[in-house]
Amino acid sequence: MVITRRAVLEQLATASDSDPRETTTSGALAAALEADERTIESHLHGLADCELARIRSDGSVRVTVTGEELLELELDELVIVDPETINPDE
Amino acid sequence: MSNSETTDPEGPQEIQYDPSASRYDLFECPDCDNVVLVLGRDDPPMSCHDEPMERVTDLEMSVKPPDVRQVLLQAFGLPKAGLDICLCVIGEGPLSANEVAETLGYDRSTVTRYLNKLVELGLLRRSELNREAGGVVNVYHSVDLERMRRETLIGFYVWAGEAASLIEDANLTKQDYLEENPDQELPDVFWESFQGRDS
Repeated sequence: MVITRRAVLEQLATASDSDPRETTTSGALAAALEADERTIESHLHGLADCELARIRSDGSVRVTVTGEELLELELDELVIVDPETINPDE
Repeated sequence: MSNSETTDPEGPQEIQYDPSASRYDLFECPDCDNVVLVLGRDDPPMSCHDEPMERVTDLEMSVKPPDVRQVLLQAFGLPKAGLDICLCVIGEGPLSANEVAETLGYDRSTVTRYLNKLVELGLLRRSELNREAGGVVNVYHSVDLERMRRETLIGFYVWAGEAASLIEDANLTKQDYLEENPDQELPDVFWESFQGRDS
């Protein structure tokens, strides 16, 4: 089964919280999604690049406020995240 | 291609309107110069002078087949890079703008520029999300596909209407010239009449 990055984000939001104390691990996510841990880690790094996940040096991970807000948008389609851009309308 | 094609030895193949095979129809009023382009229906779309418009059947002019990249560039100011980025949004994600740039081989700034251009065109939406460290994160996502279809088709019709108006103006200009300036060179008068209209 192909695990999408979005599925990892959704599971991450279920298993963790933007509160820094509520974290999980890539192993736990892999077990919950019945996926290879390396695949999960790859998606987590992609999510971290989008500022949707935070990976600590001890390996624990959590969803960010940004990640929670993205899921709240309930977008059917997928997205491009541009963290470094200033809105040109501002 | 559904239209009949002819080979031009000096260039790419040209096409002619073929009412029996085209995916579009052209109708005209038998009593005036009203001509309409129709997609997706068989019956005359409207009446003119209280009579159904008639399908055009006797057009002899051939045209160069449009290139989709040129159409997108001319009508929407959207180069191939913009379309590539638009297609990325419809694919897997979430993706960072850096990933998109790396995957497509464009500069990061190019990706950002066209993301915003696509928002201007109504082909993408932009949402702002809060960032943990403060500030906002821009998120670009596709609009509903039905809405995208409508926006691009009507947007193109607007462009095509502007182009058709220019052609009409060109014909009227020639007519006016012949009536009013019989002693001047036609090319000069013709192009002077369009000065200031080029974008």
